Amino acid sequence: MFAFAQWLANNIFGQPAILIGFIVLVGLLVQKKNSNQVISGTLKAIVGFLIINIGAGAIVNALNVFQPMWAEVFGLQQQSLTNFMGFDKFNSQYGGAVALIMTFGFLINVLLARFTPFKYIYLTGHMMFWTTAIFVGIVLDSVGATATVNSWALIAFFSVLMGLYWTLQPALTQRYMRRITDSDEIALGHTAASVAFLAAVVGGVVGNKEQDSESLKLPKGLDFLKDSNVVISLLMGLLYMIGAVIVGAKDTPAAQALVKQAGSNSFVLYALLQAFNFAAGIAVVLFGVRLLIGEIVPAFRGIATKIVPNARPALDCPVVFPYAPTASILGFLGAFVAALVWLIVLGKTVGYVFVPTMIVLFFHAATAGVFGNATGGARGAFIGGIITATVVAWGQWLMVTALLQSTIPDTAMWAGDSDMFILGPVVKLLGNLFKFLFV
Amino acid sequence: MKIIAVCGLGQGTSLILRMNVEDVVRELNLDADVDHMDVSSAAGQRADVIITSPQLAPLLAGHKARVLVVSSFLNKAEIKKVMQEYMQS
Repeated sequence: MFAFAQWLANNIFGQPAILIGFIVLVGLLVQKKNSNQVISGTLKAIVGFLIINIGAGAIVNALNVFQPMWAEVFGLQQQSLTNFMGFDKFNSQYGGAVALIMTFGFLINVLLARFTPFKYIYLTGHMMFWTTAIFVGIVLDSVGATATVNSWALIAFFSVLMGLYWTLQPALTQRYMRRITDSDEIALGHTAASVAFLAAVVGGVVGNKEQDSESLKLPKGLDFLKDSNVVISLLMGLLYMIGAVIVGAKDTPAAQALVKQAGSNSFVLYALLQAFNFAAGIAVVLFGVRLLIGEIVPAFRGIATKIVPNARPALDCPVVFPYAPTASILGFLGAFVAALVWLIVLGKTVGYVFVPTMIVLFFHAATAGVFGNATGGARGAFIGGIITATVVAWGQWLMVTALLQSTIPDTAMWAGDSDMFILGPVVKLLGNLFKFLFV
Repeated sequence: MKIIAVCGLGQGTSLILRMNVEDVVRELNLDADVDHMDVSSAAGQRADVIITSPQLAPLLAGHKARVLVVSSFLNKAEIKKVMQEYMQS
């Protein structure tokens, strides 16, 4: 009997891909799906999960060119991006725990929605995944990578934490959601909540509600910005090339060592290729997450509607964009400009190479833009974007250098975002407080 | 019948649309397989119907699938209406 339990632990619970397949299988059976859907759904979830690791590897490789290159641009000591687990290793070990935390955390969310006045069900699966992963990465970093961690205690701790976050975050933003959507039927379930909330508060103080952003006309012809592959390739392509040109012109031994990486080829073109590899890695990860979450969320939703039918769904941030599309663009513009400014400031002051995370900057700033416009018009929207870039830039610095250096700084550099950065230190504190549970 | 729900990034919003489309498909008793993805991935996929927003529909203009436009991904009545119109055409 014990041997069987041990076998289960090693082969099912210890193998995240298998465990996830198992969770999804149960979810599909509970939804009474036909055999076709059960088989394809389970396999898609497993393969999606493994695809994430493949993409993560490509992103790390590209960042390992970006960081040293820009560190040299600012004349910094080589940023030690060594000695960290990396997302592929982290996911292979703790991916199962993340999946279980998502499941139990979700169930706690449902229970809280059922028995408290906070009737919100968080349905943004991909953010559940990334937020959980980052927070686990923070606690594991503070516990120390070599310590043996009691997985079940860890899972219990985070299930409660995330369950609370997923129930309460939508409550924080609902006041403004009611104003924006002119109804009380949907809530915001997204890690942009903190900057959106800040934008609405600040917009109310310094904005001009009379000048609504939707009365402004912005130029068209920016359609190519609608594809994340294109936007990331363009921005990172520019940054990689600019960095390569500056480093190529430098005389220091570190600069020369970097240029040698391209062998006999042009260092600038080599760097540009790394930018495309970065975009490619992200595209692969997003594809994997889509497959995985596409199976998990419908199962969650099925369970939630049975237990708390009158709860509000807390949804992905683009749900607010159609209510004030110009505001969302203004927010992004504000963030883009501010991000470039912070890139230079962070390099020159604290010596950190900020990776401008296009996906985060767009979605969060756009959301902050809509919230800022609700209280402060066009000015509020633009300022919302600036607030977003500030939180994201300084937050990334703090998280990568102080909160999860040994585990997944690579992930924080492209998927780390507002709520994660703001709550990160809180999670670290709580992790230390409850350390006795896990070690 | 293959239906694809499309949004900009292919992560959360199109999934919500997909789940609502699946509900409508069940209500209308259609035999359909519904998937979700971003607009770039959708461009290379075979499908009978693509459902998306007014902003993204122009980007799929040349697609062999019939592109149906909904102004809200959350309004099942609207989804049902465009699906019924498609089925009758």
